[in-house]
Amino acid sequence: MLNLLWVLLASYAVGMLLPLCPWQPKTQGLAASVCAIVATCSGIALGLFGLTAPEPFTTSIASTIPLLTFAIRLDALASFFVLTISLVGLAASIYAIGYVRHFHGRVSVAALGSFFNGFLLSMILVVLADNGFFFLIVWELMSLTSYFLVVTEHEKADVRYAGFFYLIMTHVGTAFIILTFLLFFQQSGSFSFEAFRHPEHPLPEGLRTFAFLAALVGFGTKAGIVPLHVWLPYAHPAAPSHISALMSGVMIKMAIYGLLRVLFDFLGGEFPWWWGFTVLVIGAVSAWLGVMYALMEHDLKSLLAYHSVENIGIILLGIGAGMIFQSYGLQELAALGLVAGLYHTINHAMFKALLFLGAGSLLYATHTRNMEEYGGLLRRMPWTGLFFLIGAVSIAALPPTNGFVSEWLIFQSLFLSFQVPSLIVKLMLPLAAAMLALTAVLALACFAKAFGISFLALPRSSHARHAEEVPWSMRLGMGFLAAICVFLGLAPMVVVPLLDRVTASMTGTSIAEKMLALDGWALAPVNVEFSSLSSPVLAFVLVGAAALGLVLVALFGGFRAKRYSKTWGCGLTLSPRMEYTATGFVQPIKRVFSTIYQPTVKLETELLEESRYFAKRRRFEFHIEPLFEKYLYKPVVAAVYRLADRLRIVQAGSLHLYLAYMFVTLVVLLLFAL
Amino acid sequence: MSWLTPHIGTQLVDLGSALLLLTCFAIVAQRRLSACVDLFALQSLFLAMTAALVAFLTGTPHIYFAAALTVLVKVLVIPRVLKRVIERLNVTRELVMNINVPASLLICGVLVMVAFFITQPIMPFGHLLTRDSLAIALAIVLIGFFTMIARQKAVTQLIAFLVMENGLFLGATAATYGMPLIVELGVFFDVLVAALIAGIYTNRLQDAFDSVDTTRLSELKE
Repeated sequence: MLNLLWVLLASYAVGMLLPLCPWQPKTQGLAASVCAIVATCSGIALGLFGLTAPEPFTTSIASTIPLLTFAIRLDALASFFVLTISLVGLAASIYAIGYVRHFHGRVSVAALGSFFNGFLLSMILVVLADNGFFFLIVWELMSLTSYFLVVTEHEKADVRYAGFFYLIMTHVGTAFIILTFLLFFQQSGSFSFEAFRHPEHPLPEGLRTFAFLAALVGFGTKAGIVPLHVWLPYAHPAAPSHISALMSGVMIKMAIYGLLRVLFDFLGGEFPWWWGFTVLVIGAVSAWLGVMYALMEHDLKSLLAYHSVENIGIILLGIGAGMIFQSYGLQELAALGLVAGLYHTINHAMFKALLFLGAGSLLYATHTRNMEEYGGLLRRMPWTGLFFLIGAVSIAALPPTNGFVSEWLIFQSLFLSFQVPSLIVKLMLPLAAAMLALTAVLALACFAKAFGISFLALPRSSHARHAEEVPWSMRLGMGFLAAICVFLGLAPMVVVPLLDRVTASMTGTSIAEKMLALDGWALAPVNVEFSSLSSPVLAFVLVGAAALGLVLVALFGGFRAKRYSKTWGCGLTLSPRMEYTATGFVQPIKRVFSTIYQPTVKLETELLEESRYFAKRRRFEFHIEPLFEKYLYKPVVAAVYRLADRLRIVQAGSLHLYLAYMFVTLVVLLLFAL
Repeated sequence: MSWLTPHIGTQLVDLGSALLLLTCFAIVAQRRLSACVDLFALQSLFLAMTAALVAFLTGTPHIYFAAALTVLVKVLVIPRVLKRVIERLNVTRELVMNINVPASLLICGVLVMVAFFITQPIMPFGHLLTRDSLAIALAIVLIGFFTMIARQKAVTQLIAFLVMENGLFLGATAATYGMPLIVELGVFFDVLVAALIAGIYTNRLQDAFDSVDTTRLSELKE
């Protein structure tokens, strides 16, 4: 295992250096991808070994800096995340071979490839780190490399703004994480995670709560929970698409990892019920608001970024439910909630990365991210269309895909709340389930829009009319993820036992055998009597039904008579202007939820002078109120500016004044020293 | 030399330190830049003599070396560099001061008292014949620092910085009979480089603002 680890580290290191050689951009990009492919393949092997190994694998290198050791620990939880990172990383590296071509001559492919490898490496090290100091260093490294990747196209002002926003938010988050670690350090006197687990003096109750809240805010900023999500819709679309796939698919999951590590490892899984309840409420709100704002986005990548907020919310619903069960001592249900959360974690990583790669392909082919300029792409880009459809179906949680399985498990764990003794929890968990149901439906609507507007009907612009299918490497990257999505959906009996090894180490209970009914062909939430699901059978029924339909059509002569005419043409010549626009598609939803969107609609009509019955020109303007930015962030930013203006007096720019500061400090300290 | 008892030795070292302090006050009171440079050279000479005295009394040969270096660098090289800068810039006087001369002298007096006050508790622990010089060394450092704040011309600030360095050297000699030779060498090299860099910086300042008044630097602020 150590050898695998060395291969992984070495190939990432080579991948960071090799692209910097003064070669052709094409060679540089290829070098970066090849190194990343080798590294991610060894990462996949490492993750699988770690998941099946009986004991955690540890190794460590001492350093001369006090409190810092480069300690590495590959336990089940870390292995799961190593596997997730490496799978997405592999797809992104293959995809990058073709994708970076459209950057040639515009931005530095060398820097892009080098940071890409550095980013993957830092994420791997985040989950492997077994020392708080080391963790913080690689966490910061992850934030910085991703920042540099976000600002790849730094000649654009909005990209620079997105990067700056991201940098500030991520540092605020890191500050809170440092706070959490310092609290643990204070009690244990060491930064080693082993000491965090078994401190000399256990943390007092108040400080435990404080550590939890700081961790929730710190990791929550990275995860993008509401209301700390505002950077996501800026930063994720600004990055190159294979980076967006990594950021949205994997990087925000590092926060889930951190949260689980703190809650179930350092704090030993002992906490009052309201901790889990807080996580649950945040999850429900994030899921719902995430999808609500996603619906209103017509920039495909922003839409996907908002869906990341939604899916982080769904993951937190599962984890929150697990935490509540854990605090009531219902270990099996706790394990179920966590299995569901982790299942959705890997699922979301796969389909979100797939969708971002798909969006990247559309961008590659049409040079725009605006959905209103797509249309009719399914005919021009059939492979991309197929893969995007698989991703869309998965994220919309339609059976029998992976998204359906994990959301079903989360539903089940929420429904099983009737076993909890507390009345308020009994009442609240079904409410969370209702929120999840609403979210799922809205997500379906959103992807009906995203797929329908982008791929169906007639091209809305010349960009879309001249689109061509993307190179094979990009298709291969997407196809790989699509295959994993299908596999994860059809084979929960393979996935659940692996996830069970992760949760067993956290809750102390193994539930894999109880969850697999009928020799593993069906999945049951702990007890079969309540409910069960067999996704292979479901898939068989669905595919069978579709096939049956086709057979019936063929039997009754549906294919014989052929008529060629425009669909719904009614004798008119169809033009793209007659199509549903993305804005029009979501109009009903906008009406229903107008309290939340607070939409501004402006319609200006310029009439002909001769007759007031004919309009010369019409201007339609529509935008929704960014609630959180307006009411939460703007006041904070304004306050910071005011404070900075006051502090400006201190920064007079005078050399003498600065010297005087030092002098006075020196004398005062000397006098104090007496 | 039978007359040179430890008691007289201590007195002589104290005398040397006192002369250093006196030149410090003279630098604070002096408006003419070239005179300031001369006073600095004089102070460095006193420092070298005091150091040589300590070397003789304690029989530590490496302090001789440091004293020789002091003469070379601080009495000969740096004053010459500074004189050349002054000539080129054509500034002879410190015209406007942040704090005028009488007030500066009063403040310096207070600083000397502060230095003695601070070192009072640690004096009795010392058993070296140079122990009284520690307070004076600290006073010189503080006065040097203060001069940097009180004066506006970059040349004066550079001299003040060098005075501070002299104070530190005296302090090191007083407290521990000098630092290890290698450290001493490093410090001399640093001071020389600092003086050269500050000289260049002063020239630049002249080019950019037509003045070596460092208060003009605040114009660089947004």
